[in-house]
Amino acid sequence: MSNPDANDFEDRLKRLFETIDTANLLTEPLTASIKNFLEVSAADMNSGEASVLIRDGADGDLRFLSAIGEVAAQLSNMTIPAGRGIAGFVLSSGQPMAVADVGEEETFYADIDKETGYSTQTILATPLRHKGEIIGVLEYINRRGAPPFMPFTPDEMDKAAVFADAMASLVSAYESAKLLHGLGDRIVSDADAADFSVLRKWLFDLRETREHCEMMDLAVLLREISSRGEIERKMCRGILEAVLGYSNSKDETTYLG
Amino acid sequence: MTTVSGYDQNSFREKPAYFQLADDWRSARGRGVSVAIIDSGIDATHRDLQGKVIASVEARIDNKKVIFDPSATGDSAGHGTACAGIVSSIAPDAELFSIKVLGAAGLGDGQAFLAGLEYAIKNRYRIINLSLGTTKPQYFAPLHDMLDRAYQAGCVVVAAANNLPQPSFPSVFSSSLISVVKSSETDPLNFGFRYGEVIELTAPGVNVRTAWLGNGYRNLTGNSFACPHIVGIIALLLEKHPELTPFQVKSALYTIALENQRKFQLPDNLSN
Repeated sequence: MSNPDANDFEDRLKRLFETIDTANLLTEPLTASIKNFLEVSAADMNSGEASVLIRDGADGDLRFLSAIGEVAAQLSNMTIPAGRGIAGFVLSSGQPMAVADVGEEETFYADIDKETGYSTQTILATPLRHKGEIIGVLEYINRRGAPPFMPFTPDEMDKAAVFADAMASLVSAYESAKLLHGLGDRIVSDADAADFSVLRKWLFDLRETREHCEMMDLAVLLREISSRGEIERKMCRGILEAVLGYSNSKDETTYLG
Repeated sequence: MTTVSGYDQNSFREKPAYFQLADDWRSARGRGVSVAIIDSGIDATHRDLQGKVIASVEARIDNKKVIFDPSATGDSAGHGTACAGIVSSIAPDAELFSIKVLGAAGLGDGQAFLAGLEYAIKNRYRIINLSLGTTKPQYFAPLHDMLDRAYQAGCVVVAAANNLPQPSFPSVFSSSLISVVKSSETDPLNFGFRYGEVIELTAPGVNVRTAWLGNGYRNLTGNSFACPHIVGIIALLLEKHPELTPFQVKSALYTIALENQRKFQLPDNLSN
């Protein structure tokens, strides 16, 4: 690689690859954290159904980012048009609210219920705020156990506001990582220069390889173990250095490279 | 009879005056008092609201300007209908005007209710129910200006507080509007006044049963349901005393709240 253009190409390629993979490494644990936090907070609110909706576009539409409960899979990436429903109001107004069925009515009217077949009877919706901006809505729906469900209380509304603060930080971090991811993807998909078309093909081919997928899985695993504490990090380092030492001592290895 | 300190409108800037506010407002129904609800629209076909919604408009963007057209789309969220139901339960003869600002394509949150507020002031609705708010600093100055205009035009603006640590506008502008936070009181007339606090009024806002979409009812909790309680009470006051300025309305609320405190805190056997 003595050609200067080739070196430049290789540098750009490396930077791009790092950008995309860093974003991947960030978004995956954040997605898992958002879901875990939903589960933990919903349990504390004595609710089995919860979801995070985020602003989707400039008009104030909402999209389900994460959900737990009976119809979680159906909600994935479902959208709510601006200003519609309780979540739409909470996003636009910044006002948390709790709504409960009154005794004589059996089901809650909502577009989402119509699509999923789920029966919402009591709901608490709280805005997600980050640096003065409302970026989404946190919802807890129904209670654990059988209906009729107790309405959410003012104390639970205050508690949900605290949960919403923490959730907003997670969602904001996720959105930043996703932006980085999108940036990398856009560079690859929009590039029309000849060298970028080569790069695009190379990168797409690389992503398809089993070896690359296994390396990424390993990186995620390593990150998860080492995020648990200093002892785990030391242990990881010790094991990996031992493997590397063993590998270097062999003329041929099936472990690395 | 309630004694309220204030200025007589006719002798404004001449001398402070006291006027007597008779208790006849308690039997009023809000007749002849216009109430604007800046919200998600109102379902005027709801059984509790038939014949009470005088006009409905909704915002749209036209060449970067906010235009208000007559609206036939009703309520997109249920919230506006709920607020209208609460106002109407206290002041059944109040004339409701729906200003729908939620859900308009291309309309930012702060921009939406600022435009709605301007529309309501231009039309000189006597009471404006505002359950929306913003924490964006860029709206501080225009909202402050707008509320001064409302005050000078004699429009009483009632806003719901948010229950978050940071201030939201306009509910913190306590000098030129009436801001409300929820209480767990169940009597709709038992509101409180927290003199010296940023959010001065408290009113029922926990499990309030009111109108909802589909001709139904819901039990609702939130500051935005405390706000229309105060709007309803002001409508009663203004039916009997249409000459009251926004300042005098606030003074009257303060005085009535003190009476409420005395009345509702006494043991049952002494309350009469």
